[in-house]
Amino acid sequence: MTDATQSDTAFRPKPSLPPPANTVGAVGWLRKNLFGGPVDTILTVVSLYLVYLIVQFAIEYGIINAIWSADTYRECLDINRGEGACWAGIGVWFNSMMYGRYPDEEQWRVNLGGIILLLWLIPFWLPKITGKIQIGMSAVLTFPFLGAALFLGGEFGIFLHVMASVALTLFAAVWLHVATTYVFGRSLAELLVSATGFAGKDDRLHKYVLLGAFGVGFVLSLVYLGSWDLVEIPTTIWGGLFLTLVISGIGIASALPNGILLALGRRSKMPVIRVFCTAFIELFRSVPLITILFMAVTMMPLFLPVELNPPKLAMVIVAVCIFAAAYMAETVRGGLQAVNKGQYEAAQAMGLNFWKMMALIVMPQALKLMIPNIVGSFMGLMKDTTLVSIIGLYDILLMGKAAGQNPNWLGFHTEPLLFTAMFFFVLCFAMSKYSQHLERTIGGGYGRR
Amino acid sequence: MAVVDKAGPRKDARSFSEILNDERYRSVFYQVIVALAVIWTANYLITNTAENLQARGMSAGFGFLGSTAGFSIAWSIIDYEAGDTYFDVYLVGIANTLIVSFFAIIATTFFGFIVGVMRLSKNFLVSKLASAFVEVMRNVPLLLHILFWFTLSAALPSPRDKENQIALFDSVFLNNRGLYVPAPVPGEGFNIVVIMALIGIAAAYGVSVWAKKRQLDTGQKFPAFWTGVGLIIGLPLVAFVALGSPLSFDYPSLQGFNFQGGADVPRAFCALLFALVLYHTVFMAEAVRAGILSVSHGQTEASYSLGLKPSWTLRLVVIPQAMRAVVPPMISNWMNVVKNSSLAIAIGYPDLVAVFMQTSLNQSGHAIEIVAMVMLFYMTVSLTISAALNYYNKIVQIKER
Repeated sequence: MTDATQSDTAFRPKPSLPPPANTVGAVGWLRKNLFGGPVDTILTVVSLYLVYLIVQFAIEYGIINAIWSADTYRECLDINRGEGACWAGIGVWFNSMMYGRYPDEEQWRVNLGGIILLLWLIPFWLPKITGKIQIGMSAVLTFPFLGAALFLGGEFGIFLHVMASVALTLFAAVWLHVATTYVFGRSLAELLVSATGFAGKDDRLHKYVLLGAFGVGFVLSLVYLGSWDLVEIPTTIWGGLFLTLVISGIGIASALPNGILLALGRRSKMPVIRVFCTAFIELFRSVPLITILFMAVTMMPLFLPVELNPPKLAMVIVAVCIFAAAYMAETVRGGLQAVNKGQYEAAQAMGLNFWKMMALIVMPQALKLMIPNIVGSFMGLMKDTTLVSIIGLYDILLMGKAAGQNPNWLGFHTEPLLFTAMFFFVLCFAMSKYSQHLERTIGGGYGRR
Repeated sequence: MAVVDKAGPRKDARSFSEILNDERYRSVFYQVIVALAVIWTANYLITNTAENLQARGMSAGFGFLGSTAGFSIAWSIIDYEAGDTYFDVYLVGIANTLIVSFFAIIATTFFGFIVGVMRLSKNFLVSKLASAFVEVMRNVPLLLHILFWFTLSAALPSPRDKENQIALFDSVFLNNRGLYVPAPVPGEGFNIVVIMALIGIAAAYGVSVWAKKRQLDTGQKFPAFWTGVGLIIGLPLVAFVALGSPLSFDYPSLQGFNFQGGADVPRAFCALLFALVLYHTVFMAEAVRAGILSVSHGQTEASYSLGLKPSWTLRLVVIPQAMRAVVPPMISNWMNVVKNSSLAIAIGYPDLVAVFMQTSLNQSGHAIEIVAMVMLFYMTVSLTISAALNYYNKIVQIKER
């Protein structure tokens, strides 16, 4: 009996009503995000109309009225009266926009160089591989020489020969390392040491094994490179996307080490070094890149002995490297300032010297914090490389412009620009998305969540 | 292993490496090395330059600035004609650079705020549209923007094409030669109107200072903002009407093959301005967005709980804090506008780099002097702006321990 009364008087809530139909599901989403009020509705309608106009124009210009095969620009114009794109021209000029005037039968060298670089960098994304920093440094520091030997060809000098051999040896070592890691589950160094029977001996002796192995590889590469017999392709006929990537690649590769040195110099306690670094950074950051490029091509011939007479490309690359280093220095300095002072003090308390403190404690944190900015300046450099077209290097932009001056393709200007724009968009957009990914994965411990 | 010697380095029998590793001498040693390296490099470059100049039979020095520049400049904001000196060319270049940067900065700031706020809009379509705009514009090189819009602007109707003419109120014309606008012609007594405007600005400033002081003293508010607006607009307006409108306009009109009268800017100017604005608006928008997001929602809630109404909350709490994050990137963006206006050279707009670093350099051959002068200009602009920025940062910085 008591049970019954208790159950009658006990509080028993009714089940909740479902939310109003217009706040959930597709209708709710629409009401919340598109038609929240009169102003919102007007904005939505205007935006929809805008999207419609853009999409309609893009489809009409780029697909419906576009011409996909033609031999001259006139042919295109005769068919669509300029109301659609003439993608046929891109097909005709594609090779020029990629390689410039690099001879057709030698273009495999450019492709090979690109493939080597890609292969060199692939271990970065393989999870099991150890020593990624060394792999990255070997690629950045030595690939340019191998690339130069490959792309230039001809009788390259003794310096280039030696450096390219070093690069080839390291490249082989990287992939042997990958192979041993996946096949035997041990790194190349361990395997070499145990194979030669040094495993039981003092750790300090191990480096001789590695040096010996490197020496053998080096001699082999030296001989192999000596057997190369490539036609010489002077830098004056390099061009297109290839040239763009050469300039921006070297700029990007040199930016981080130079920028780190400059940033450390600017924060140094030694007044002479600080003044020089600050002056260098401020000077080259406050002037536009185009003035630095002009300076390179007009003043550098005056600065250097006549007999040196460097090619224009070399002068431009120096200018781009200076510019990139000055910008990177400020980015790195921002990162250094953001690292807590306690980290410096803790590192010193552990007895680390300056370079160890920087390399092991401070830089990893500073660079992780600055990933978005570093990638941002790489993207900026990539885009700024197009400026070399102003001083007459036939990069992708100027090759595209040259297409419109060919007698058969007179007036063919818009499509190469659109194509180049799409190319840069894809490249830079991918880079920024990748940087956001990096920020989430390796920078995640430090930033705001 | 070295044991730290409390008594300092030993006095006897010091090897070279010991001296090098002594804290007291080490930094001096490195600094001397660096200084010597820099001096040696400078000396090397200067010697080479002197030899090269001698070999080419050229002389260094700024004497050439006074000699006649034998070329004409397509368009200039200050008067210039062929036969003026190279120094005049320098000034013309600076003026042309500054005028295009000035308009670009104003438009960039304005549109940047709009796009930045749009990206934060609760409206899904609006914010996505703004993000798409940002992504597309900033991932394409500025030089491509400039060339693209310059190429497109060639397709504008020609001045003689009356049917397709793009005109506003029959007084502003846009065609493939450029943009034509009415030019103001100040009449007699117009300088009085200008003086009155200056007095208005000074008075508005005075009123705002007084109003702030009174509010601090007595707590009473005074509508200083609207009073100021009234003074700045009202005083010159009264003078203008009283003097019988001493300002007329010179309208452009089609005569023969082209427009005559009025003021005009070339097509390259329009394309450059448009491209600069499109490209830099995006960076401005990102700065605005990040600034607004940097003010935590707790600030708004705290302000409401203190009883401030929404408009005051925005004006007194949110915006001042957002500005702290917006202003530095905004100003460096302005600096980039000035620097990037140098890309004008690609489409033939006669800016400083085009007329001085290219044409004058090719004509006179004085590479070092000319490059130094151009860099000096850009450095002056940059350092002035960054000095102002540092001053601002110092004022608004959150004061910590």
